[in-house]
Amino acid sequence: MPLPTGDTIGILADNLRMRNSVLPISAKSATSWARGLHLPRGAKTVLYTGMMYQLIPYIAAMSKAQAGIEDSFLANFVKLGRQVNKVINISAFMAMPPKSMRETYNRLLVNIALLLQRAGVQFGYLYEDELYSGALVYDLGADDVLKAHARKVYGTFQKYGVKNVITVDPHTTNMLRSVYPTLLDGYDLNVKSYLEVLVERNIEPKNRLDREVVIHDSCVYARYENVLNEQRTLLKNAGVTVKEPAYSGKFTLCCGGPAESLYPKKARARAEARVKQLKEVARNCVTMCPICYVNLQKAAGGEIELADISSYLVQAYC
Amino acid sequence: MALVNPGFVDAVKQSEAFNASACMNCGVCSAVCPMGIELLPRKLFRYVLLGLEEKVLENTETIYSCLLCKMCEANCPARVHIAENVRFLRSYINKKVFKL
Amino acid sequence: MSDQKRIGVYICHCGGNISDYVDVEGVLRAVQDEPGVVVAKTAMFTCSDATQQEMVRDIREQNLTGLVVASCSPKLHLFTFREVARRAGLNPYQYTQVNIREQCSWAHTGDRAGATEKAIRLVRGGIARTNFTEPLEPITIDTVPKVLVVGAGIAGLRAATGLADLGLSVLLVEKSASAGGKVAGLGKMYPHEKTGREIIARLVDEVKRRENITLFTNAELVEKSGSIGNFRVKIRLGGKQREEIEENAGCIIVATGFDTYRPREGEYGYGIDGVLTLAEYKELLDRCGGGLVRNGKPVKDIVYIYCVGSRQQAGEKPNRYCSRYCCNAAVHASIQSSEASPGIHQFHLFRDMRTYGKFETLYGRARDQGAVFVRYSESEPPAVEKGADGKLKVTVKDLLTFGEQIEIPADVVVLVTGMVPARNEALVDVLKLPVGRDGFFNEIHPKLRPVETVVDGVFICGACQGPKNSAESVASALAAVTQSASILKKGYVELEPLIASVDPGLCELCDVCAGACPYSAIERDHYQGKEVARVNEAVCKGCGGCAPVCPRNAINLKGYTDAQMESMIDAMLKEIG
Repeated sequence: MPLPTGDTIGILADNLRMRNSVLPISAKSATSWARGLHLPRGAKTVLYTGMMYQLIPYIAAMSKAQAGIEDSFLANFVKLGRQVNKVINISAFMAMPPKSMRETYNRLLVNIALLLQRAGVQFGYLYEDELYSGALVYDLGADDVLKAHARKVYGTFQKYGVKNVITVDPHTTNMLRSVYPTLLDGYDLNVKSYLEVLVERNIEPKNRLDREVVIHDSCVYARYENVLNEQRTLLKNAGVTVKEPAYSGKFTLCCGGPAESLYPKKARARAEARVKQLKEVARNCVTMCPICYVNLQKAAGGEIELADISSYLVQAYC
Repeated sequence: MALVNPGFVDAVKQSEAFNASACMNCGVCSAVCPMGIELLPRKLFRYVLLGLEEKVLENTETIYSCLLCKMCEANCPARVHIAENVRFLRSYINKKVFKL
Repeated sequence: MSDQKRIGVYICHCGGNISDYVDVEGVLRAVQDEPGVVVAKTAMFTCSDATQQEMVRDIREQNLTGLVVASCSPKLHLFTFREVARRAGLNPYQYTQVNIREQCSWAHTGDRAGATEKAIRLVRGGIARTNFTEPLEPITIDTVPKVLVVGAGIAGLRAATGLADLGLSVLLVEKSASAGGKVAGLGKMYPHEKTGREIIARLVDEVKRRENITLFTNAELVEKSGSIGNFRVKIRLGGKQREEIEENAGCIIVATGFDTYRPREGEYGYGIDGVLTLAEYKELLDRCGGGLVRNGKPVKDIVYIYCVGSRQQAGEKPNRYCSRYCCNAAVHASIQSSEASPGIHQFHLFRDMRTYGKFETLYGRARDQGAVFVRYSESEPPAVEKGADGKLKVTVKDLLTFGEQIEIPADVVVLVTGMVPARNEALVDVLKLPVGRDGFFNEIHPKLRPVETVVDGVFICGACQGPKNSAESVASALAAVTQSASILKKGYVELEPLIASVDPGLCELCDVCAGACPYSAIERDHYQGKEVARVNEAVCKGCGGCAPVCPRNAINLKGYTDAQMESMIDAMLKEIG
């Protein structure tokens, strides 16, 4: 039996409404990556993590739990779970990722911050005031919850007088750049992905990376936000040989990640199919979306080495 | 026999988010769908246009299985906003069936 | 035999089309010593420029007085070689074409000896005929600068103003009580959204302002005689006095339009209250300004069924053609309906959408407004019946959901009815109009001569030729104007002189010839104190029907005189040797 769709969405939506995030994550663990970077609190330009990278370890842990529940008698209890969730944060019990995994993802955010600094960008960070963008809830069609949440997020930016937002992942880029303007009147933030900012700033490489990688485009960057050249430019300038897999660029094949929250098994099957295509081209694979990264990682099975693009860029440019 | 429900048509029309009128039923969307969803979106959208609400609801799982990856949209010759339409249907079902 | 002719004979290989099956050189040997032959040659292609020039040279240098080319059908090259003769200074009617391809080599591909023998006889016949040819000149007829236009719909009216502006007088004859035809009954039309009524009112006004147009309503063409350039026509005027008037006209344009297909009782529910033809629905739409209402009740759900009466594959005398205008008209009606009642639901049950050209944007607009298009198969047509709550119930299998049976409640079902040919037997009889298998009038050539008929000087335009929308009807009307004017503005027409002539000395006016003539070309004349028959050259078609029936042998067909026919027979029957 698949997971009860309505109740699962219900849990996620309730979480967003009551706890400002689809999965609860403490302010401490969400902001710990910035420790030691001395980023100013708020600024005209801010780096906005959207919590995606921080959330991934939790989502991975939860979906592992869900995949276990899916097709088992426990699926029946998710419905009950939604009622309980309103009082007790049940996701917190379901999902507790190992520390090493959290550190891996935190490192990626540090990389991005270092790259931006290297490119001479002056930016701040909202620390614990930063909120999740609501991407998952948007995808699931919980529009009313999303609208209220978007207003909160925008309110926070306004509070700090933010004008320019630098995003780190495609889903958050899409939410802030393309979805929020349709939900909020007078929305005036200038939103760019850090990849776009780095190219705009003509960042120069310090080290040459003589490596061959296969690139896995994010659907959202490629087809929603038209971010197709930046990642290639940055890699090529660093001396990386970029190989294109079957289905790339505008026609990239989805990693399956978006099915994660409702159909973990389907998500896994899609990821396996994509890994098969990638490994035919090169052993090292670059991703630029935390969801692609985690979902492909599960299916990689040691056959390909996955790395977020920031790991390569930081080696070349910092 | 599926009965056309004009009320469903009106509910869909009111939102303005759903628009599949340009669909010419070529089937490219189904052919390129990484989820291999046969039903999505050409047949599903016709159910919506025709006001066959029960047919739409019968396919709830399909509607939530969509990755919103827009592979279909990138290949759609009629430029139907497929992902947006799927999101609309989710939001309709969330309200109407799941009472969210 | 008249003065001995000097004849040139050219026998064509046609690149093998003839010579593969006929011994062309053998034919040459067998005919080169025929009486009158001074030049005899074969050629690979007699129609080639080089051979034509050679013929011109031979005619001039050898002082030829007759020319024979044995090649293909005269349909292909009669005029080519007449022109060769003319260029060389020889009267074109001194030329004879002998068909040894279609009528010989191609017909006898398995019998070379037989084909060769037949070719020899045919060529000898041609030579014999040529020995008796006389120089002839085309018959020149002065044209009457006036055109009869039959039918005062949008095509007829526009043709009339077009002709009038070229300085030609127009007799515009309309069967019904007022001008305007079908368009006069239409509301808003695409793309300018002017009503049919407005367009017709403007055209009628234009007609009235032109002094050289005479409009007859309640009138019919009842008789026609004469020929291109000068027809004599009789028009019966209706009303109380029922008088008939006679007029002359140089050309005739037929613009009699179409009839709307009328569904059989029960066809797609026709007869049930609420099931309307497209024309009936458009009237309803035209009457309703804000909000569609029928019988005091608001119309909320409309189902259109396309191809009613068109594109039929089965049944007795099916209308196989597409009526062409109806997809566009129905889609346009749908848009107007949405504008009149924004909340309505419209379902279009179609077989294939044919909103060609610029109408495609209408189709897109209708869909954007929310109209839903459902594709059905002719083999499983939709069914219409009475449903619950005074509604109609339409059931259909939607091919686009791969055969989902759906049931649609409807307040109105619109049968998108096509065009059928108008019933005009009397006119067809008077004008000898060619009627196609589909019942519409036939043009000579669908692409290159779209408004001409096989009757010289009689043109067709508008929907009487086949389904057309109003713009296409007007375009064809203007084409008919051009064709008429190209004849009448010249002032004269040239006709083939190969017609009958009566020797008045021999004629005793028994009138047998007049009875045999299908064209009423035999008239009476006076000759040396007696009444004799005379051939009206403008009317005679040269069919030869009169010549053999004359008890006095007083009638001859120019170019095919008795002497020529007899000599041809003799030549053909000669021993091959």
